[in-house]
Amino acid sequence: MKAIVDCNSFYCSCEQVFRPDLKGKPIVVLSNNDGCIISRNPEAKRLGIGQAGPFFKERPIIEEHNVTLFSSNYNLYGDMSRRVMEVLKLFVGEDNVEVYSVDEAFLDVDEFPLQQLHILSEEILHTIKQWTGIQTSIGIGPTKTLSKVANRLAKKHHEIANKIVILDTQEKVIAALQQTPVGDIWGIGRRYADKLLTLGVETAWDVRNLSEAWARQHLGGVVGVRMVKELRGEPALFMQEALTKKKMIATSRMFGEAVTQLADIKEAIATYAGRTAEKLRRQKSAASVASIFLVPQEKIESPHFQHGPTVSTYTILPQPTSLTHELIKAAVTMAVSIFQEGKKYKKAGVIVSGLVPDNAIQANLFEEGKSIGRFLMDMVDNINFSMRGDVVKFAASGVTRNWKMRQQQLSPRYTMRWEELCEVK
Amino acid sequence: MDTNPYFLPSYKGSKDFSQTDVPNANATGFCAASDDFAERGIDLNEQLIRNKPATFFMRVHSNAMIGAGIHDGDVVIVDRSIKPTNGKVVIAALNGEMLIRYYEIHNKKERLLPATRKLAPIEIDPFAQFEVWGVVTYVIHSV
Repeated sequence: MKAIVDCNSFYCSCEQVFRPDLKGKPIVVLSNNDGCIISRNPEAKRLGIGQAGPFFKERPIIEEHNVTLFSSNYNLYGDMSRRVMEVLKLFVGEDNVEVYSVDEAFLDVDEFPLQQLHILSEEILHTIKQWTGIQTSIGIGPTKTLSKVANRLAKKHHEIANKIVILDTQEKVIAALQQTPVGDIWGIGRRYADKLLTLGVETAWDVRNLSEAWARQHLGGVVGVRMVKELRGEPALFMQEALTKKKMIATSRMFGEAVTQLADIKEAIATYAGRTAEKLRRQKSAASVASIFLVPQEKIESPHFQHGPTVSTYTILPQPTSLTHELIKAAVTMAVSIFQEGKKYKKAGVIVSGLVPDNAIQANLFEEGKSIGRFLMDMVDNINFSMRGDVVKFAASGVTRNWKMRQQQLSPRYTMRWEELCEVK
Repeated sequence: MDTNPYFLPSYKGSKDFSQTDVPNANATGFCAASDDFAERGIDLNEQLIRNKPATFFMRVHSNAMIGAGIHDGDVVIVDRSIKPTNGKVVIAALNGEMLIRYYEIHNKKERLLPATRKLAPIEIDPFAQFEVWGVVTYVIHSV
């Protein structure tokens, strides 16, 4: 059997753990740059605040009901997530946990007898709540997809199900599938859901009864076949190893205010290039291709909501690199080449790809050795990590930082910073 | 350059040490007798944190527990996995406020007691919004 454990309104819950004064009150967490709502607690949902909506649209409700706002504090959420995952690993063993996202994990619970799964689930939920303050729900089924179906029901009927749904008999699986609309099946997007609905396929039960040949033809080939198999209870998706090395690394941010000056763009691009190089070194990779993009602001005057076309460019580096100054040089040169005077930009980013291990860099005949640069980078990383912050940085990344992202409602980093601990009286 | 791993930012605490990480004298002459007794160094994480995922640090902003040696400005280590029992110092969330007090329970009646004469004990109203947030295990006081 596979299980999925999922944290309820995770970002909001993290904030509420340290703010007992907000218990039972509506709160929302905003995305980077405070632009969109990305998490709502049940109280906020009950007010009718929409998911993933732009913040300004919900502003009237938020002000009327005195909803507490938070900028996203990923430092805190990352730490709380790690705590939750650690508890799960204690229960089922490190090898049986697949961290699926910041607030979800699949568990392989094959080693536990069926009749013990309910007790195990109760213990897991109780321990996570007790140790971390985070409320979770759990769904268990014969396959990953069915565990997702179970988890959806656990959340939907949490008063009756007590946040635990286990599909341990054929009857329960059938009943659960019949209650699940196609759009809520894990892996079915809006487009496929619409397509299935027009064909009269309304529930997960209907999908389960489709033939594999039909799924192969109409539901995205082998992906569709796997889904049908999974819904029938035949495992087709297995536990995955954690992705330790990324194949592509990107750093991008929205600007706090629209940016019109080349100097500001250069600073921002240099900062993101620096962050990207740091991430490269952390996973011991070097990049052979660097690209950047700039996103102009949409024209608000025009009758149609228009996204300005994203401009981007790339360059093949003379030699794969993870050195900050080399990446900054390449990125800033590109920024200068695609920047247009008179345009307003709202976002920029740096992406690197073609990653190779940094100890096996192909030497280029015409380039000098890089060992000194690498030593310097290690020293810079060392200082920045141990001092917690960009203590040593390249001047190109700027000192004024007019473009910095907006985070007006940021809560303290309660679990990571000695100066920002939760206060008690 | 050979640096001891505990000075590096990637250092994860001594529990991840294997015996090959234990420093030796690295003497070039006669093998140091002390190598036979080599162990890992004292690590405060190991001494003070019993259950990492359940442990939080908090800063005290009152003199309510001064009699217990907890001063204004001290940092306390709080373990949420410990069951609060009579006499334990706890962090309690009472009507939206985080308080540090002694915890007492008699015949299902809960009380929070300060360690100073300047504050009064608090009887917990069964209808109050009350929860023991965690149990204080250590206090870090700068002298």
